[in-house]
Parts: sequence; structure tokens; C-alpha cells
Amino acid sequence: MYSLKVRRLAALGAALTLVVAPASQALQFWGWGGGRGGDPRAWDFDPDPRAEFQFVRYAYGSSEGRGRRRGSWQTDWPDAEYHLTNGISRLTAIDTAYGGKFFEPLNEELFDYPWVYAVEVGRWHLSEVEAEHLREYLLRGGFLMVDDFHGSYEWASFLASMQRVFPDRKIVEIPENDPLLHTLYDLDQRTQIPGIQYLWSGQPYEDDGYTPHWRGIYDDEDRLMVAINFNMDLGDAWEHADLPEYPENMTALAYRFAINYVIYAMTH
Amino acid sequence: MFEFLFKYPLAAFRKGEFLFASGWPVWLLAALATLACAALLWRARTAPSRLGPRALAAVWALQAAAACLVLFMVWQPALAIQSLKSRQNAVAVLLDTSRSMSFGVDGESRLQQAVTALSERVLPGIEGKFRPLLYGFGGTPQRMASIALEDLPPPAPSSGIGESVLSVLRESTAVPLGAVLLVSDGSDNSGRFGRDLMAEIRKYNVPVHTIGVGRERIPGDVELAEVTVAARALPRSRVSAQLTLRHDGQRDRVTRVTVRDGSSVLSSQPVTLRADEPVRREWIDFGAGESGVRDLVFSVEPLAEEEISGNNARRHVLDVPRRRRRILYAEGEPRWQYKFMRRAVHKDASVQLVTMLRTSTNKFYRQGVDTPEELEDGFPDDPEALFAYDALIIGSFEAAFFTPKQQVAIRDFVSRRGGSLMMLAGPNGLGAGGWQNSELVDALPAALEPDESSFRREKVKVELTRQGRDSLICRLDPDPERNASLWQELPELADFQRLGPLKPAAVTLLAVRYDRESLPLLVRQNYGRGRSSIFATGGTWRWRMGLPSDDERHDIFWRQVLRSLVADTPGTVRLTSDRTNYADESRVRLRAEVRTKAYERVGSARVTAVVTPEEGSPQTLDLRPAAGELGVYETEFDASAFGVYRVEATARTEQDRLGADTLHLRREGGVAEYFRPERNAGLLARLAAETGGRYWELDELDGLPGEIRFSEAGITARELLDLWDMPALFLLLIGLRAAEWLVRRKAGIV
Repeated sequence: MYSLKVRRLAALGAALTLVVAPASQALQFWGWGGGRGGDPRAWDFDPDPRAEFQFVRYAYGSSEGRGRRRGSWQTDWPDAEYHLTNGISRLTAIDTAYGGKFFEPLNEELFDYPWVYAVEVGRWHLSEVEAEHLREYLLRGGFLMVDDFHGSYEWASFLASMQRVFPDRKIVEIPENDPLLHTLYDLDQRTQIPGIQYLWSGQPYEDDGYTPHWRGIYDDEDRLMVAINFNMDLGDAWEHADLPEYPENMTALAYRFAINYVIYAMTH
Repeated sequence: MFEFLFKYPLAAFRKGEFLFASGWPVWLLAALATLACAALLWRARTAPSRLGPRALAAVWALQAAAACLVLFMVWQPALAIQSLKSRQNAVAVLLDTSRSMSFGVDGESRLQQAVTALSERVLPGIEGKFRPLLYGFGGTPQRMASIALEDLPPPAPSSGIGESVLSVLRESTAVPLGAVLLVSDGSDNSGRFGRDLMAEIRKYNVPVHTIGVGRERIPGDVELAEVTVAARALPRSRVSAQLTLRHDGQRDRVTRVTVRDGSSVLSSQPVTLRADEPVRREWIDFGAGESGVRDLVFSVEPLAEEEISGNNARRHVLDVPRRRRRILYAEGEPRWQYKFMRRAVHKDASVQLVTMLRTSTNKFYRQGVDTPEELEDGFPDDPEALFAYDALIIGSFEAAFFTPKQQVAIRDFVSRRGGSLMMLAGPNGLGAGGWQNSELVDALPAALEPDESSFRREKVKVELTRQGRDSLICRLDPDPERNASLWQELPELADFQRLGPLKPAAVTLLAVRYDRESLPLLVRQNYGRGRSSIFATGGTWRWRMGLPSDDERHDIFWRQVLRSLVADTPGTVRLTSDRTNYADESRVRLRAEVRTKAYERVGSARVTAVVTPEEGSPQTLDLRPAAGELGVYETEFDASAFGVYRVEATARTEQDRLGADTLHLRREGGVAEYFRPERNAGLLARLAAETGGRYWELDELDGLPGEIRFSEAGITARELLDLWDMPALFLLLIGLRAAEWLVRRKAGIV
């Protein structure tokens, strides 16, 4: 039987845990934590250059505004990359480099990697030159997956830059029969994949982003160039794949979506 | 001069047999000559003389030679020869009346020159001794009453010299024909005057004397001598034609070659004809367009002073079938090359890329399939299913994935089916995938390095080889210099794979520069009925991502590569004709090769062909099995009407329809005579030499009537021609005596 003092200390510890852990997660979510890896620019680990597929993160710049901060492109770095690339290697025949790379929008090296991932694009800001560069990248055959932005405010913010990239192309809902949802896994069920905030909020949505949307921008040959995961957070699901509290079925689903996206990008 | 000195024409000496007419033994002649020489020697040594030893020896030699010559003449040397009996033989005179004989210079045509020469210098000499049989000929000889211009047949659209001579020889078997006299410019455009025809003419043992008319070189003329281009092309593909241009070679000239389809110009480019290059080969590329039949006209722009412009253009029918060729591409891992290759031919109407991609250990992702069932069970096990494709590409796939039976089927796909195989580089491909130990080892154009590190993901620059510069696959621009520059500017490849030694018949179109070494990149060779190639990279996608989005180089290259894989792939029935353009030649030979779906030869098929002329009703022909060639069927038909013909052959057995094939060909008239318009003295001289006749120029015909009589054909008699009284012998005798006199005078004796 524990003493009263010990029981009080345990209760205090439990209370602290209950308060501090979600707060820490919240801080990370809002960008102050920077993930476990900190600034990727200080990271000295390069993925194996001999692999065919490299996970590339789009290191965009942000504008100031409500809830905005510089460096939101780094969100979920680097665990999301490590977990996902491991998963791709394990589950597919794709020769995948472990970890990820990142390039700023005007870096010409970006053209050596026809797949790029942009996170928290509700906070991105692309200049005209950057938008033009991204447009050229996509028209040459590059593929952009955007993720982790929620609600009408962030949609508007995303749209402002995206319309600079493609002023005349429509953003449409990806239909059920699109090959994107069937390249390796048949992903017929549209399940909202929540971010880590779900652990303390219990809500799968953020802001007013109640309904998940799989949207896209197609080229003239009806091939998807930009896959838009709106009102969901696949990045968190990859990042927290090893977190016991995060729902395993969400991580599995996020892996499946990502693998389908990568295979689609390598086949269409 | 020869005849003045030696009394008889040279032909008499060539054909006659030498003998002594006195009938005295030759040994006696030799003995007397020896005795005379010895007596003169004895006299020279014993008789007192003021001559020195050298002069004495010279005098003795000259006296001995004169004595021998006299003895030779006393023995009555002669030629025994067969000659035509006067007034008992006929001589066939064949006058070329084809359209090319209307060409001329200074207002006088070749025909007029020929008629003048015959009527003034030849016929008067033979008419008293032989009966002349007069013929005018183009395609076939026609008897003429006289050689007056008004009696000549109208200009014929073509000439068949060999066939005309043979026809006259055959026709004259009832007539004692002593010789044939052929007057022509030597322009034979029948295409059949070869060794066989010459041997047949020679069998008649009738000497053919030939007289050449016309100029051997026509100044300022350029001729489109030949157009070499495929009979079929894929829709929207690029087609390359080789044009052979002949010109007088006197000086540099600039002109232009053009390809037209009806009134639309498909391609046009300038060409420089160099003085030191009388025959120039020029490549011109053009688009095949949509499916259908292209009635193309290739032309070279006439030069300013050109007299004959009828030889500046040639026509060609290009068949652009509607069928989309299917390529099976098996890829062992998702990779960028796969994506960008697919995108390059996504909208290509001529090529359908059917792909099976291994996405995980046991899962395949199929694209481009016609039905949900296609490739559902993976790579085809059944050769018939595999042979339904026109070409096969194997990417980064280890050989062990394919069963031995599948590997044998892949090899047979190339050798027996006549398909194309292309192996791509990759971490699991080529040597790294163990293909050097597979059933395909003989089929591949290079040995493979059995090393997993042979595949390197390092950026390398691609280089165009000499063969690559000439290949349509590597043609990014019709202009060779611009093409080389476009290749030079391409971004580096993402990777490459080292190959082992190339096979002897392999051709390298592209190479990479690595570590100061040039390594083969795109290599191909023929194997059996088909073709195999290796493209030792999986990294051309950097050309697409590294160049502006509107730059088409990557896509053009891949479209050309994939089209080249399927352009010549035969079906189960392959119909061919001996040519695609019949200019003034109506006999068309058809040949069909018939196979089963497994591409085994079929010897018992019923093969029919429906021939449909441009105007008129179709006719159905049965093709018969060719002797000695299993599965090959042949027939001929007469394409008498001008225009484009459509021929569709269908093969059946009693149970099945094996397949069908279609071709188009063009028949035209009145053009052949414009080609090779200069005098072909070589052909005429060869015909004369082969038959025992002689080739004559127009200005040396005086000896012709005399020479005609020396013939073994017709009614002949053995004639003895005395040689002892030849002026040459008497002149020689006088010369010997005069030389002796000169020697003595030099010695101061006379």
C-alpha cells in the first residue's frame, strides 16, 4: 500500500501529465515545437541517392497572419518521412530512400524529383516567380501532394497561392473511380484522417473543416498533377505511426493513401 | 587502217583459225628457216667484211628475219573462217523507237541520227548481201516496211532491249538469221535485263552488233534516280526516305527536294550537288499523317538549264494502316522512366502501350489493356497470347521471375514471330537481373555484365554515334547539324548500366561518356525474323523534367523508339509485291507468307487476293505454294490500268481464318524513259561482247557491213582468207631490207 505522500505525488504527476502532454502536443501543432527533428536545414542526414524514389518536401515561404508563422513547411519533419518511406519500402516494390529531402521553391534541383509534398499549405505564400516555377514543374510531369490544412480560412489562403500557379485550372473533387484511389489499394471509403489534436480534442476536424475533401488539379490529358488533402492530416498520421495513442487504423489508411499517390505519380 | 594493213577486219582474226594453205609440213618450214639462219651466220663469219662485230651481228639478224619472213609467205599463211553466204541470210535490224530516242541536241533527235546512219552508211552495205529484217522496238519489237521516219511505230513508253532481242531471235528460228544489228541509246528500263536473259540470248549463237546513239553525259541534268522508303508506316509517325540524285558532276549546284501528298507539301529541304559527287544520297523526313493511303510525289527542283525535267520526280504509295500496334511492357518496379514513357505515347494513334507493373511482391498494376481480363494472370504463359503483341519491352525485372517456358516464348517472339524485344536497364534488369543466364542470351545484341553494380545511378551525358546520326530513331530534327546540337544540349541521364562486349551484328545508336570511356547505351541487332535491342538506362525521364514543358525532345525520342519496334512487325499473313511503284511495267508479282497464331508456317492454306484497281472492277486471284518455301504463296497479275491498286490477301485453312494483309501499289505510264536518259554504252558493249558481236559508235560504221558476214549463225560457208599477200607483210619485208641498208650506211660501206 502506498503512503499518502506517494499517492499525492502520483496524483500531481498524473495531473501534470494530463495538462502538459496535450499542451506540448498543441504547441508542436501550432509550430512552436518544430517536431522532434527541429529545423531540417540543420539536419545532416541525406537519404540514399541511389534510390529511385526520394520523398521531397516543398520548403515554401509563409506570410504573416492569423495563426501563421514562418517554417510551417517543416511540420512533422522528420518522423513523417522516416515512417512513411519505411512503409513504402516494406509494402511496395518501389526502390525508396529512407528519410526525405527538401527544396525551396526556386531550387532547380527540384526538377530532379518528380514527387513533392507540401504540408500546412493553408499557411503557404507563393510569389509570382515561385508560382511560375511550380507550374512549370507540374507541367513537365511533376506531382504535388498537399496536406494538413483545414477550414475555410486556410482554404482561401491555399487558393490564393494555388491560383497564382494555375489561374485557369479548376480544383475538382477526385471521383471514386479515379485511378489515384486504386493504384495499389482500393480506397473507396472517404475517412477523415485526423491530426494529433484528435488525442486531446476528440474531434477529427479542425477549425470549420468538418468534411474531408480529396480534391485535385488535372492536366489537359486528365492526369492528376496536384492531389489536395483538405481537412485532414496525413502527415500527422505518418509522423505518429509509432505513438500508441494515435489510432493505428488512421495511420494505416494514411500510408495507403500516400502509397497510392506515389504509385500514381510514378505511373501517370 | 587495220583493214588496209591486214586485209581483213579484226573480227576475222578473232574468229578465224590460222593455217598454212600450201599444205607443206610446218617442221619443214622450221628446218629451212634454221638452215637459212645458219648459212647466213656462216657467211657472216667467213666472208671478209669491213663491218665491226656489232654491225655484223645486226646485219645477220636482219637478213635472217627477212629470209624467215619470205619462207613464211611461201608457205601461204591463211585464215579459215565461217562466213555468211551471200544472199542466203537475213540480218535483223532493231531500231529503238522508245520515247528516250526523241531526246537530242541541236534540233536533231537520237532517232533521226540513227535513221540517217542506218540509211546512209549501214543498210546500203548489207542490202546486196543479206536480207534486212527491220524492226522498231520499245517494249516489244514490231516489223517495219522501211526505216523512213513515217514508217516508224509511235514512241514506246519503255524499252526492253534484252527482251526485244530475244523476241526477234525466237521469231527468226525459221529464217537463216546471220546477225542482229541493234541501234539504241541503251536505255533499258524493263528491270529484267540481267544475267539470265543474257544467257538466253547467248544460246542462239547469233552475234549482236550494237550501235550507240545519244550523248553519254547530258549537261545540266539532275535525275531523281531512286527513292527508298518503307511501303508502310504507322499513323502520325515520321518516315525517312533516301533519295538518290544523279547529276552531270560538272560543277556545284544548289537545288531543292520536296515530298508532296497531293497538293500539300509534307517536307522540303535544300540540297547541294557537288561537282566531285555525281551520285548524291539525301535523306528527307516527313510525317506519315493519319491512317490511309498516301500517294506521294518526291521531286527535285529542275536546274536552270535543264533539258529533261521528266526525270525529276518519282511517285510512291505509302500505306498507313489504321491498326494500332500493341507493345507489351513488363516493368518490375515503379519508376519514373515507366511514367514518362507512357506519357510520351499516351496520345499516339499508332502505338498502344500495354503495361504490367509490379507494384509490390505479388501485385501488378495494368494499364492500357483492352479488356479487364487482359494480363489478369500476369505475364503470358501461352506463346499465342504473347505473340498477339507486336513488340515486347522488359524493364527492371529479374530473369528468375520468368519461367523457362516464358523465356523460351520471349526468344521465339523475336526469332519466329518476328517481333521486337527491348530490354531496359534497372537495378533488377539486364546483368543485375541475371539475364546473362537466361534463354535470351543469344537473342540479345550484347553480352551482359554479371554484376549487381553494373547499374549505376549516376548522371551521364548521352552521345549520338555515327549510326545514330543516320537513324530515324534518333532524329530530333531533319537537319543533321541541328539534330546533333539538340542531342548535345540534352540534360544528363539519371542512370545507366554497363554492358559486356557487343555481338558482331550489333549496331550502337547511342552511347554515354563515363570515366573517359564511351559505353554503348542503345544497341540493336536483327535476330531471326525479328529484332532485339537494349537500352541501358532507366533515366531518360530527366530529359522531360530538365527541359521546358513545351520541349518535345523526350517524347519525340520515345515515340520514335516505340514505333521503330513495331513498324516492321509482320502479322500472321504478310503480303509483299516485288516493288511498290510500277513505271511502264505491268507485271506484278505477289508473295504471301502465311503462319499460324503461334507463327508456325502453314503449307496447306488457301490464299486468295482481291486486287482492286483505282478504276474498274476487282479481280480475285488464288496464290499458289512457292516451290521450296514452306508457308509462302505466290501469284502474278497484269496491272494494265494506271493508278493505285489495293491488294488484300486472305489466308484460310479448312477450319480457320488465319489472317489477312493489305498492300497498295501504283502503276504509272510514260515516265520510265525519262530516267537514265544518257546513252548506256556499257550495256550495249556488254551485249555485243557476250554474243560475239561488236559495239559501234555512230562515227565509225564504215567497217560494219564487212564485219557482219563473219558469223557462225545462219547459212555459212568455210572460207579461206589468204594472208601471204597482206600489205603489212610486204611492208615488213621492205622495212627489214631498208634497215640493213641503213646499218651498212652507218658503217660507211654504202
